[in-house]
Amino acid sequence: MSANDNQNRAEAADIRIEGVNLSYGKTHVLKDVSLAIEPGEFFAFLGPSGCGKTTLLRLIAGFNVAQTGSVRIGGAEVADLPPWKRDVGMVFQSYALWPHMSVARNVAFGLEERHLPRDEITLRVDEALDLVELKHLKDRKPAQLSGGQQQRVALARTIAVRPKVLLLDEPLSNLDAKMRVQVRSELRELQSRLGITTIFVTHDQEEANSICDRVAVFHDGAIQQVGTPIELYDRPANLFVANFLGTANILAGKAAGEGAVFEVEGGGCFAIPASTRVEEGARLVFRPQDVFIGDPAADGPAGIVIAREFLGATMRYVVRIGNGDVMVDLPHRAGATPYQPGDRVGVTLDPARAMFLAR
Amino acid sequence: MAEATGIAAPVARSAQPGSAMMGHWLAIAGITGFLGLFLVIPVAMVILVAFQDPSSGAFTLVNFADFLRNDLFLRAFGNSFYVSIMSVVWASLFALPLAYFTTRFEFRGAAIVQTLGVIPLIMPPFAGAVAMQLIFGRNGSINLLLGDWFDINVPFMEGLNGVIFVQSVHYFPFILINLTASLRNIDRAMEEAAQNLGCSGFRLFRRIVFPLAMPGFIAGASLVFIKVFDDLATPLLLNVKDMLAPQAYLRITSVGLKDPTGYVISVVLIVFSVLSLFVASLATRGQDYATVQRGGGGLSKRRMNPAQAVLAYGVIGLILLLVLAPHLGLGLLSLATIWSYSPLPDGYTLDHYARVLGESWQFISNTLLYASLAGLIDVVLGTAIAYLVLRTKIAGRHWLDYMASAALAVPGVVLGIGYLRAYYGVSLPSGQSVTSFWFIIVIALAVRRLPYALRACMAAMQQVSVSLEEAAENLGATKARTIRRIVVPLMTGGIVAGFVTSFATAAVELSATMMLVQNTSDAPLAYGLYVFMQSPAGRGAGAALGMIAVLIVGLSTYLSTVLAERDRAAKAGSTS
Amino acid sequence: MLNRRSSIAVTALLAIMGPAFSQAPTGKVTVITSFSKDVTDPIKKAFEAANPGLTLEVQNRNTNAGVKFVEETKSNNQSDLFWASAPDAFEVLKDKKLLQAYKLKAQGIPEKVGAYPINDKDGYYFGFAASGYGIMWNERYAKANKLPEPKEWQDLAKPAFHDHVSIASPGRSGTTHLTIETILQGEGWDKGWATIKAMAGNFNHVAERSFGVPDAVNSGQVGVGIVIDFFAFSAQGAGFPVKFNYPSVTTVVPANVAIVANAPNKAGAEAFVEFLISPKGQEVLLDPKIRRLPVNPAIYAKAPKDFPNPFTDKRFQGMMVFNVDKSGDRTAIVDTLFDQTISFQLADLKAITKQLHELDGKLAKKANPKAKALGDEARALIGAMPVSEAQAAEKDLASAFTGKDAKTRRAEYEQKWAAFAKENYAKAKAKVEEALKAAN
Repeated sequence: MSANDNQNRAEAADIRIEGVNLSYGKTHVLKDVSLAIEPGEFFAFLGPSGCGKTTLLRLIAGFNVAQTGSVRIGGAEVADLPPWKRDVGMVFQSYALWPHMSVARNVAFGLEERHLPRDEITLRVDEALDLVELKHLKDRKPAQLSGGQQQRVALARTIAVRPKVLLLDEPLSNLDAKMRVQVRSELRELQSRLGITTIFVTHDQEEANSICDRVAVFHDGAIQQVGTPIELYDRPANLFVANFLGTANILAGKAAGEGAVFEVEGGGCFAIPASTRVEEGARLVFRPQDVFIGDPAADGPAGIVIAREFLGATMRYVVRIGNGDVMVDLPHRAGATPYQPGDRVGVTLDPARAMFLAR
Repeated sequence: MAEATGIAAPVARSAQPGSAMMGHWLAIAGITGFLGLFLVIPVAMVILVAFQDPSSGAFTLVNFADFLRNDLFLRAFGNSFYVSIMSVVWASLFALPLAYFTTRFEFRGAAIVQTLGVIPLIMPPFAGAVAMQLIFGRNGSINLLLGDWFDINVPFMEGLNGVIFVQSVHYFPFILINLTASLRNIDRAMEEAAQNLGCSGFRLFRRIVFPLAMPGFIAGASLVFIKVFDDLATPLLLNVKDMLAPQAYLRITSVGLKDPTGYVISVVLIVFSVLSLFVASLATRGQDYATVQRGGGGLSKRRMNPAQAVLAYGVIGLILLLVLAPHLGLGLLSLATIWSYSPLPDGYTLDHYARVLGESWQFISNTLLYASLAGLIDVVLGTAIAYLVLRTKIAGRHWLDYMASAALAVPGVVLGIGYLRAYYGVSLPSGQSVTSFWFIIVIALAVRRLPYALRACMAAMQQVSVSLEEAAENLGATKARTIRRIVVPLMTGGIVAGFVTSFATAAVELSATMMLVQNTSDAPLAYGLYVFMQSPAGRGAGAALGMIAVLIVGLSTYLSTVLAERDRAAKAGSTS
Repeated sequence: MLNRRSSIAVTALLAIMGPAFSQAPTGKVTVITSFSKDVTDPIKKAFEAANPGLTLEVQNRNTNAGVKFVEETKSNNQSDLFWASAPDAFEVLKDKKLLQAYKLKAQGIPEKVGAYPINDKDGYYFGFAASGYGIMWNERYAKANKLPEPKEWQDLAKPAFHDHVSIASPGRSGTTHLTIETILQGEGWDKGWATIKAMAGNFNHVAERSFGVPDAVNSGQVGVGIVIDFFAFSAQGAGFPVKFNYPSVTTVVPANVAIVANAPNKAGAEAFVEFLISPKGQEVLLDPKIRRLPVNPAIYAKAPKDFPNPFTDKRFQGMMVFNVDKSGDRTAIVDTLFDQTISFQLADLKAITKQLHELDGKLAKKANPKAKALGDEARALIGAMPVSEAQAAEKDLASAFTGKDAKTRRAEYEQKWAAFAKENYAKAKAKVEEALKAAN
């Protein structure tokens, strides 16, 4: 770690959100949201568009005002502070670089607003641009930069003021696919060097999973689940989370035989751990890689292969069981003979992998 | 109509070959033809005199040398310049708070404030000045009261300062309208990013908002500058003669004067106006910020705390009171029995309205018809010219802009005389002279008000990102359809602003109309007002007619603002 | 538009068929006028009542615009009559051959009103009403500013009236021009200009249109205006607190009507001219909103008591014979001199005049011959003109203003005259300041 990074390193702050409600007229946009983000964490708000994730981000930045609830950053209540007094750095989805100012002037802006001495501003502008490797473009106007460069200028502009927390609003959405992968690892690296508490808003689970410490999944104005990407994947709290993160097989049916089997609607049973309590209306949920197909056997239902998709490392089959379709991922080995659509197969599920989720 | 081809014809950038280029050239030919026929040729026929030796008629520049050797004219030039600059400064001071507060804060009655802010532009000739004198004159209401209470007399209306005062009150809506349109087009993230970095209040305005709204501001400010520079009515009614435009007018309209000097001054006015537009275009070069990057462009409306709200409403109330004082005076005058050397009229009556409504209804309907048609022609031409200038690379395209804008500097009386000189002999199939057909009045109004609409359309188009058009073309839309489905809808705010300015000011135009009205049944309202205002008994009736004009134009302005607002809200809703 | 087109067609038809059926003219008579609705409406009504079949189409334009209009539209003239106050506008039209001569049928109209011939000697335009020039003032204003009642032109040069007087520029108002010319002819060129400039030093402003003066007096923006009588009387009629005095020497100006050359409805135009001169038409002039002096002396029998009669009233007879040709030849020169030495130098002129009033006040309290002599020198400097009466009559100077074979251009004269006035006023200012010091 260079001296540079030390200077740019801000005191990491935690964020505590409690009981936040926000509505626009009749639309309830945030429903009783509470959340704790630890100092130095790289945290993601994940969810489909319109789920409230950006609204919460803007609320932390001070651009939205909640009807109830509290927002504390580093222990201090900020709910009543205007945006310019919060010391929260935000990178906008559109970057919002001011077209009438050069790159250097854009980056210097926040420092000037803080009335730092002129030579210190120069120094910190250079540092921030160094950090994003754009020092050579400091005299350009934003319109003369590529999308990726603009994005990095926006980032430099924000971190130059050493905010307590960093908010990134879909920062990768305006970049092409290749750039996206590159920039996200750069972001992660930069964040860990600076040690700044960061919230990353995205609708792309892969982005969230690949770089974030923890993720909050949003749906319909409420947080569905908070956890590390692995927790969310392995133990989703509800059907929405299970479905939104990765691929999930979801089968309707009911437990039978004192909880030892699950009868799939329309025929066939899966063996499940004995005395599992299955709530009324809950579904059987499992990942495609946790289920196997082979010759028809006694410990699982029989199904018919209706489609297959070759994905390289795996072969994904779609098998019809009763009224439902199940995706099955089998590792592919050279020379293996795959099943054909129309083949009748037996389906087995590792009982330990079976989850029952309501909603 | 020829100008319609500017929109309808498929147009293309120069990189595209063949038939697409044809569209451009058709549009250019249409616009050039229109301006040539109804601006350049008639005006040239009149100001030719400036280049002729008074005795021999031979070509000469000696008249311009005389201009430069004349102390009065040089003084007049200096005064005009000073008054114009100062008027821009004051007009900006009036317009900025109104535009900023109503677009950036949750402001009750923003549409009403916007509408009231445009009303000063609708100052009917004669009536407005009489009313101003009654309120602010040396023996107007305010000075009579000040004299009674404090024994002082403030020369609001005296000399150059008086002209600056009246002009900035009268023309500040140009800045207001263009600035408002511009402010609405700024992506809210631009401001939020600054707030996020610790910037707020006036600094936010000075460092981010104002620079981004610069194209609109410059558009408005250059209009104010040129308008004040070329305006003759206000200085004359305040009895200030040592300015350029009044000098030109006095000379051109004096009986029996075969004098080139008035036309020399007209040429100077025209050249100087074009020059200042050129300077304005240099100032905004490379500033086509197109900050609406994602289609609708969100507009963040902030809430004010109670102290801010009191201050904001206070400032706006004060400004509105000041700029609407002339209309207040006009309203009082229209209801007054006698108003002479007293703070308020002696008594009140509705007789003037009864008289006007009884005698003059057709003035009103004529005005609505003429001004709407003129406004319509102006926005069509304005959009077409803005497109050609900003979106194509055709050589000399800027001359379309300069040519259309030069109309600002052409005194109305010169245009009127020019029409008569050029087209009186031309007959319609019915045998009627072209110049006695009422549509010639519409054309004259359209030509004279085109620069207003053009500035608004240019500013609006500057803010529409080219990438939005490219997206449409990429999806298979032709140029023409892209313009119709993407560009024009995104420019709606600017186009409405342009229409409103054209319409509102055309509704009270008199100087060119005066030469062209040949039949009382074809006369617009301003002409009727002039006729009333020529007699002591007609003063109240004239004021009543003036009030009716103000009400009509005010209502139409309010309506268009509401429509534009609704349209904008709908667009913002669909993209966010 | 259909209506109008068909009415044109009907008019044309009637014009062709007319003579076959009757001698009475029919159709539309188009008149270009500077008169207000208050004047034209009653006359239109009376005219149409007296001439069934004729309608009067009134096109209101100010005099200058009207002249330009007739000039620009001569190729396809649609106007029948030109009807306005200022005789010089008619002179211009006549010079440009835009009028048509006509021999009046009406009898009993004298040759002159006051000292001014009623009709054009060549029969191109005809006076139908007379108006006298005088002083109008706002009573409330006068009371508040303690102004004495103005009776004579000379009164307006007194200190009490400083900054309270308004006049229209003679170049913009034909009637004002006649007043200036009257003073110049009555008092002589040099003395006349000195009188005018002494008065001008008290002007609040020089208005650019005739109606601007009564308008300013009516609303109380200035106290006193030099106006034509009907402006004051019609203002009184409308209820404004204004009064009017004819000075003992006044100008009488006829208001005129003329038939435009190639008038489309010549018979109708002639009917209108005859109507205006006829007793019926003349009587309409007595209407309090119009209030002009008829040119038919017989009509005064029907007039209200205090109605002035220019044919018997001494004030109107006292005026010397007015030389119309002399006035006509130098119109542009006199007007330009007025503008260049007064209108455009008004601020300077006012400032010195104020100091002169101050000096007079001091001298009245304590005589001081040296200061008085300096003051007189200053007055002489102010009154001095760059052009003598003889020079003003010279052909070379006149041609600079008509644009025919001029050796020197008009613009050059203007600059010379303005510079002359400016320099003299500066010198006068120095003298007055010296005198003020001496008088202390």
